[in-house]
Amino acid sequence: MTHVVPAVTSTRPQTPAAAPDEGVRSIHGRAPARRAAARRVAIPYAFLAPGFVLFAALIIYPMIRAFQMSFYDWRVVAGATSDFIGWQNYVTAFHDPIFWRAFANSGAYMAMTVPPQIVLGLLVAMLLNAKAPGRAVYRLLFYLPVVTSWVVVSLLFQYLFANAGLVNYVLHGAHATNGATSWLSGRWTAMVAISALGIWKGIGWSMMIFLAALQGVSRDLEEAALVDGAGRWRRFTTVTLHAIWPATIFVTVMLVIGGFNVFTSVLLMTGGGPADQTQVLLTFMYEQAFKYLDFGYGSAIAVLLTIVVFALSVVQLRVFRNRTLT
Amino acid sequence: MKRTTARWAIPVATALFAALALSACSSSPAKSSASGPVTLTFWGTYGNGGNKAQTDVLSQTIIPAFEKAHPNIKVNYVDVPYDSLLQKLTTSAAGGQLPDLVRSDIIWVPKFANLGVFAQLDGKMPNFNTLAQATYPGTLSTNKWQGHYYGLPLDTNTRVLITNQSALASAGLSTPPATFADLQTDATALAAKKIPVFADSGLQGWNILPWIWSGGGQITNADLTQATGYLNSAQSVAAVQMLVNLYKEGEIPNLLIGNKGAVSTQDGLPKGNYANILDGPWMKAIWAGQYQSFQPVYSPMPAGPGGSISVVGGEDIVMTASSKHQDAAEQFIAFTQSSVYQLSMAKTGQMSVVSSLDAQEAAASPELAPYIKQLQTARSRPAVPDEPQIDTALQDDLVPAFEGKVTVQAALDKAAKDIDPLLTATK
Repeated sequence: MTHVVPAVTSTRPQTPAAAPDEGVRSIHGRAPARRAAARRVAIPYAFLAPGFVLFAALIIYPMIRAFQMSFYDWRVVAGATSDFIGWQNYVTAFHDPIFWRAFANSGAYMAMTVPPQIVLGLLVAMLLNAKAPGRAVYRLLFYLPVVTSWVVVSLLFQYLFANAGLVNYVLHGAHATNGATSWLSGRWTAMVAISALGIWKGIGWSMMIFLAALQGVSRDLEEAALVDGAGRWRRFTTVTLHAIWPATIFVTVMLVIGGFNVFTSVLLMTGGGPADQTQVLLTFMYEQAFKYLDFGYGSAIAVLLTIVVFALSVVQLRVFRNRTLT
Repeated sequence: MKRTTARWAIPVATALFAALALSACSSSPAKSSASGPVTLTFWGTYGNGGNKAQTDVLSQTIIPAFEKAHPNIKVNYVDVPYDSLLQKLTTSAAGGQLPDLVRSDIIWVPKFANLGVFAQLDGKMPNFNTLAQATYPGTLSTNKWQGHYYGLPLDTNTRVLITNQSALASAGLSTPPATFADLQTDATALAAKKIPVFADSGLQGWNILPWIWSGGGQITNADLTQATGYLNSAQSVAAVQMLVNLYKEGEIPNLLIGNKGAVSTQDGLPKGNYANILDGPWMKAIWAGQYQSFQPVYSPMPAGPGGSISVVGGEDIVMTASSKHQDAAEQFIAFTQSSVYQLSMAKTGQMSVVSSLDAQEAAASPELAPYIKQLQTARSRPAVPDEPQIDTALQDDLVPAFEGKVTVQAALDKAAKDIDPLLTATK
């Protein structure tokens, strides 16, 4: 095998060509050279500017504004004066039992939906990574829920888990229950129904990430492991899992963030009810801001959610970074 | 090559930047001409749920009649789904982009009046007192906040008992329950057929107050400053206890506690799943489309020790404080109280708020007669800015009583305690 030195692909001018040019400039004056240098510095920023303006206007400014609002008894009308109340909105949140229930429900949803999405997503990805007839069709079918509207599937699952819905019908038929479970009228049964939707809709996304990662698993290593007598499970844990570890970290972090941000399905399937039993942080925040027009309290909840999600992400990244697979 | 890139790169990037900046600024509203015809923007929810009958009457009859009488005023009606109007009003108030007129749910008026979004009408609108006195007192009171009026009633409604006669007949019953005692007797008869005697979809003020009022109880004192001693009185407890007893026997379905997986009243009554519900005059049009053979029977709210008392619903017409055409807007508000507006809308199920039009309304729309009668004693929910929170408190505090986790007395004590500060809150 011949080693080929890679060709230089940089567009940076080579020194011998540039030198005479610089020499000419130095004779005729320094100003054009300075302008050229300034232009070189300005170009990247000029291209960055539109994106940055959008990012600043649509992400950074609202975030700063929400943070500011969380310290006020915010009056929503344009031009109205709002009273500064310090940490009062945060104190209200810490003493509000519904806030803590919403926090626990968001955490429970995350705990109930993230592991199944990872395990099932990886399982499906491995099945669909193997050469088999109709592979593309199955990939499409598993990905279909991801691109389906949350509104449509939330209503669909509401019907499935209704008192007289398909789930009760099937469970009764299988003699698993008496068929009279009122799924959406109790806190935990409703959370099961909402989580079932989250898992069903999310598997396709993690499958797609894992599929991409599985394409990068070295066949040489797999073959070497096979030659060494490693079984299917051993090959999975020592070769495959090792190779897709960065993708697993990415999927986990993103799913945890997404789990804490659950909103549409809860709003549509239970509305946070009955009696606020299934409120999650975002539905609770939405209710405070847009039903009661208490934007100060709503913003404080949003800030607290941001801190929790940020802290969780940092912890996860640190845990994963310090942990290597053996 | 490199220098060529540099030459076009900066202008292109600058142009992109400028385009973005300019597009962000281009949405500022054009100022209206002072001399030309005035255009009023009017937001409403007439078309909610695809109700074309009401938007058709508005655009084909009512607005042309107003514009003919006021050649210098044009009305641009914008239909907004009911579920998004509160959010749209809120964000528009924050952005200073409000319309001139709003058909507002009666429970939002005190909140937006308190925020300074809706304009005070009494003392400003020339003929306000005359127009106000012509309306039902219960509907007018929904416009009042801190001694002033911020709107006029536009349309009203209330809830009456609607019965599936076939469901009653299957249990050997012939007439809808007229009293609390009848309801309990009917429940026993219907239980044998596994048909709940009554169904409703929540425990908020709209749902529970007719039972408390008819039971002789109250939600607050007359000044709307205290719930303790009223909401948790013996009469209120007895009325709610009756419902709890029926619920525990399975004679009221768990739709009542807010279970979204239960069969809705809209479907359950015509299908015979439920024998009775409480609902408004719009149901007739809904069933006419979906359940054409269903013949609903309308009767008054079952009477308890306090009589037969239902709850007032409906909308008010309000002008925004930021409207640049307040004189024209006031003229349109006055027009909404005319017989043209009120009777045209009554034909579509939106009941008139002008009491002198009762006879004409009943003659033109006989199906509204039970509602017109019920309105004579119907009461409005507390007209305070935090009314939505009061609804939540009622729902959240009463559910545990229905689930058997606390006594009705304890649930109403807690609700009263939670509601007290909401009555006096002014933020």
